[in-house]
Amino acid sequence: MAEAHNPLEQFQIKRLVPLEVAGVDVSFTNSALWMVGAITVATALMVIGMRRQALVPGRLQSVAEMLYEFVANMLQENVGRAGMVYFPFIFTLFMFVLFSNLLGMVPYSFTPTSHVVVTFAMAAVVFVGVTVIGFARHGLRYLKLFAPEGAPIWILPLLVPIEVMSYFIRPISLSVRLFANMMAGHTMLKVFGGFVVTLGIFAGWIPLAFLALFTGFEIAIAFIQAFIFSVLTCIYLNDAINMHH
Amino acid sequence: MTAEPPSPSLKDLEARLGRLRERAGLEKEGKEERGGNQPKAQGSAMGAGLRAGVELLAGVGVGGALGWFLDGWLGTRPFLMLLFFALGAAAGMLNVYRMARAMNAPDEKTD
Repeated sequence: MAEAHNPLEQFQIKRLVPLEVAGVDVSFTNSALWMVGAITVATALMVIGMRRQALVPGRLQSVAEMLYEFVANMLQENVGRAGMVYFPFIFTLFMFVLFSNLLGMVPYSFTPTSHVVVTFAMAAVVFVGVTVIGFARHGLRYLKLFAPEGAPIWILPLLVPIEVMSYFIRPISLSVRLFANMMAGHTMLKVFGGFVVTLGIFAGWIPLAFLALFTGFEIAIAFIQAFIFSVLTCIYLNDAINMHH
Repeated sequence: MTAEPPSPSLKDLEARLGRLRERAGLEKEGKEERGGNQPKAQGSAMGAGLRAGVELLAGVGVGGALGWFLDGWLGTRPFLMLLFFALGAAAGMLNVYRMARAMNAPDEKTD
């Protein structure tokens, strides 16, 4: 541990079980392992928490209920009751991002959400899904999303391209935000960890104190980013279902 | 996943939710009216700040990249990139503006 550590080494993808299907590398990697971990922990929390559906919930059960209510309220507030059918999807998304972020805080673990591929894959599913829902619910009238009502006709040639752009920016900003935050946070922790080692027993306490602070901060970020990711999905869903800007 | 249009199973779920709600006597009409149209982007101020920054950046980034790509394709080197850069920046600002307006939405009714 004494030698200089590359702070970006933690993001390296390692093949655990090399696999190849039709010339495509589909190895089971450390990223995949921690994704499976996130799903397992999230599922276990819900299943074990709700096993004894007590009227007065125990600790695990109240955590499970809190998570459920949190997402349900978010969906209700942002989309309304019409959005409740998409609750399973939003809840899965929220839990997956949350537990990927949180498990990433375990020392020596890997954070799948610190890779653009992972976050962009989720953002792309959201983007395509929302677009399909919009067209399925409103047909071609969904295109009116790009031409706000009440805008003078001469301004439309300028407004429509901007609206279209702002629509297509969504998946990019959604995925970049999550991955950049996770990657920046983890890199910073590693860099400060390196300071502790190089400054040694005398001055190393100062970065160590920062490290303790940042670790708590980083756990808060894990929650906030999971929340932002799902709340934005809700807002996009609201556009598709209620067509209102 | 949501990638499919409201299929029979989703309609099923909708009907089941409705039945459950009726049975539980949870017909809160007033609440539903409020829930629908005004996206109320609540959440911490820090979350809002993190959102806004990336929104601006993504606008410029996507605009510039799209313009650059189209330029290479159509052979109009600098022009489309400049145009889309400006459009992207405008779109990013529009997103931030919408976000800010949604945050104020509960108090005042905008257009």
